[in-house]
Amino acid sequence: MIHLPVLFLFLPIVIALIIYLIQSSHIHWLVFPMQLILIVSFIFYVIAWKNDPSIGVLVFGGWDETIAITFLLDALNLTFVGLTIFFFSIIFFYAFKSNYHEKKFFFFLAFLESVFLGLLMTNDLFNLFVFLEVIALLVTLLITYRKGENALKAGLQYLLLASMASILYLIGVLLLYYVFGHLNIALMKDTMPSVLNTNLVKLAYGLIITGIGLKAAVFPLYAWLPKAHGVAPSSVSALLSGLVVKAALYLLMRLHGEMFHAPYEFSTVIFWLGMISALAGVIFAMVQKDLKQILAYHTVSQVGLMFIGLSFNQGNSFLGGWLHILNHAVFKGLLFLAAGVIIKAYQTKKVYDIQGVFKTLPWTASLMLIGILSITGAPLFNGYVSKSMLKYAFKDEMFIMFLFNLINLGTIISFSKVAMMLFGKPHLKVLIKRASISQHLPMTIVAITSLVIGLFYQPLITWIYDIVPYAIHLEDARIYLEYIFWVSLGFNLYYFILKRDYRPLAKIRELTMTFPTANFLLLVFLVSMVAFLYLA
Amino acid sequence: MIRKWMSLPLLLIVFFAFAIALTDYENLYVDTARIFYQTYGYLYTGSLNLVTAIYLDFRLLDTLFEAGILLVAVTGVSYIAQHDQVEHNPLFMLDKFKIPELFVSLARIIYPIVLLFGIYVVFNGHLAPGGGFQGGSILATALLILYYIDLKKKTNLQLIFTIEKVLYLLLISISMISFLTRGEWFTNFIPLESNLLLKSVFLIALNLIIGAKVALGLTAIFISFLKEGR
Amino acid sequence: MEPLLSIAVILIGMYGLIASETIIKSVFSATMIESGVILLFLNLGALNGGVIPISDGVNLVIVDPIPQALMITTIVIGSTVTSLALILSIKVFHNNGSIHWKDITK
Repeated sequence: MIHLPVLFLFLPIVIALIIYLIQSSHIHWLVFPMQLILIVSFIFYVIAWKNDPSIGVLVFGGWDETIAITFLLDALNLTFVGLTIFFFSIIFFYAFKSNYHEKKFFFFLAFLESVFLGLLMTNDLFNLFVFLEVIALLVTLLITYRKGENALKAGLQYLLLASMASILYLIGVLLLYYVFGHLNIALMKDTMPSVLNTNLVKLAYGLIITGIGLKAAVFPLYAWLPKAHGVAPSSVSALLSGLVVKAALYLLMRLHGEMFHAPYEFSTVIFWLGMISALAGVIFAMVQKDLKQILAYHTVSQVGLMFIGLSFNQGNSFLGGWLHILNHAVFKGLLFLAAGVIIKAYQTKKVYDIQGVFKTLPWTASLMLIGILSITGAPLFNGYVSKSMLKYAFKDEMFIMFLFNLINLGTIISFSKVAMMLFGKPHLKVLIKRASISQHLPMTIVAITSLVIGLFYQPLITWIYDIVPYAIHLEDARIYLEYIFWVSLGFNLYYFILKRDYRPLAKIRELTMTFPTANFLLLVFLVSMVAFLYLA
Repeated sequence: MIRKWMSLPLLLIVFFAFAIALTDYENLYVDTARIFYQTYGYLYTGSLNLVTAIYLDFRLLDTLFEAGILLVAVTGVSYIAQHDQVEHNPLFMLDKFKIPELFVSLARIIYPIVLLFGIYVVFNGHLAPGGGFQGGSILATALLILYYIDLKKKTNLQLIFTIEKVLYLLLISISMISFLTRGEWFTNFIPLESNLLLKSVFLIALNLIIGAKVALGLTAIFISFLKEGR
Repeated sequence: MEPLLSIAVILIGMYGLIASETIIKSVFSATMIESGVILLFLNLGALNGGVIPISDGVNLVIVDPIPQALMITTIVIGSTVTSLALILSIKVFHNNGSIHWKDITK
């Protein structure tokens, strides 16, 4: 049982190599048994781990802990590993039929799954850097898979920016090596408080936070995300928004929260960074006309909400932020997958040109409606649970509650635009392609998960973390009325203001960031972090 | 324009931050790892070169994924460099380009020397500075001389990819044999207390595989670039 | 003294990323930053003035071998990222006909 992490790490790579080496296309069916083996062994591992948490430490090579690479699995890790395996199964299901003959697509996807699982499980700082770089390379290849004109530009910018972030992270890690003499995260956690006040550790912390910040796409470093997520193939967009961005958030929890013990009063900085990024994300999302760009800018905003939640290290807001990570993966994945089906059927990406999806693709439209209800925070769905848990710590401060309501309003407005797509009469002249069962089934599974988490979140959190979270009373009729109030307010604002498309809104839509500007903002971010750390 | 001038003071601030941080470097430097490698490195792994001992025995997992990133990069570069249309005139302007005679005659002398030197560096990775990655790059340079001499050389790229992936599978399997013989993952499969010369069999085998992989990979990347240009 | 020079190389590379007008210059600046990082850590590791780490337990002061092993990995990773960035920039040039960043952003 203790050796199962090696299976998680290497089985997808071996299957990827076998898929590439054998010529026929029928070998592609091998991905489904592989996912089944992973799911079953993960369930066995969790059951064994619940009985005896000490089996989560795996030292490679039998050497001493200070000089060998170790894997460490605890409650934080296992949820992410489970989410990864679940999500990749869904994506393999969804992308199977349309990419049946393409060997390299499955090769890259399976390799990405393996390296991603490695990133989540490792306990060694330099190993993290290697995995981060491999993920950056693989994500670039998946973004530019269709070799469209915009995809190549977005892929190049993503590759250079992600490499810069990894290198800043590497400099931070190597400065830490000189202070501690080893690279083990769990051992550093114990001896960290004595050296926190030296300049070297402060500089290392600033560099690591900058590297993580670019990967997680907070303000002002989010420029690559809308470009990359908007032009990738649909299954890859769902994977990126749902999972790869979460790797950086996992690193934030691990390094900032556990290893450094949330030092230097930095939690306030992270809180305000998250708030600004959430506001900026919804403002940009409201004015876009392209369906995938709306979803992509919205990811920036939700990541901001997660930063707000994670800036506390415990309590209901932290649980809310962590639960929001899982929820966001679920409903953003659902939205991107459904959007992919709709775009393929209508052959266009502009929101105003698509109408009447309920009549042409009824099942897809209802799944998309479930996704929209989740993301705007309707009660009974999982979005409501995480958002109200996030707001729990601030229920007494008026200004912050006002900002939260503003962000929620922005979300509702941008998704009213998407929801308008579902109603009305279709005016198609072309023959549409229906989505096959192999695409409906995974989307349905994700939608059901969304409902399940919304209704049964309390036993779930108690089972994982042994903490009883804040209780939400679903019988209370006020929450339904409150939701209906915000939705009608948002919809009216959308209809009377945004639909007219005034000149300032068009100006905001055209605001794109060039690559040198993105690098300049990275430098500004680094300098402000370092200045704050040295002088505070 | 304006951001160029604004970035100069910011870069100076970063420079001073580093300078201040490095002044207390001497107080904090911890020596335990270095002393451990000095006393026990040769005894435990059988290699005189301690750097090779680290990346082939103590931290083998990093090396596996480093070879993996090379594999992914080679596949990716060849995929992106593929043209979708048929080449109209693959030898466009190439017949007008003459390779200098001096270059060809010198290459005849240099090619076997560099090849031999590369193989020497790969084999002696555990006794002298060198190893799989370094020797692989030297071998790749030697193989590229063939491409400079003969611009119309035809290569079977698919064969190179197949060999590379088989070599990677072999690398992973050799690393995992230690689980069966010693009960530990990703280390030498010969038990810890045996003869030091016997342990270097593992190191030589891994160095050979890594050297071959790196040489083939770098050559494949170069060939993809050449094919794209035609 | 030498670590400060390596930091200067890194910062010149960062300036290059901010100020470059063409794609190829950005890729060169990224490569320069990676080389600067490798130089920085080899220098920091050699500050105690020992001999190269090829020894069998003799009592000479050797340089710390771990940064050197980590840097081998970093060099390979840097070169692969550079090669992928170069092939992508060639393809972008073929599609757009220009290598300036101004013409690339839509």
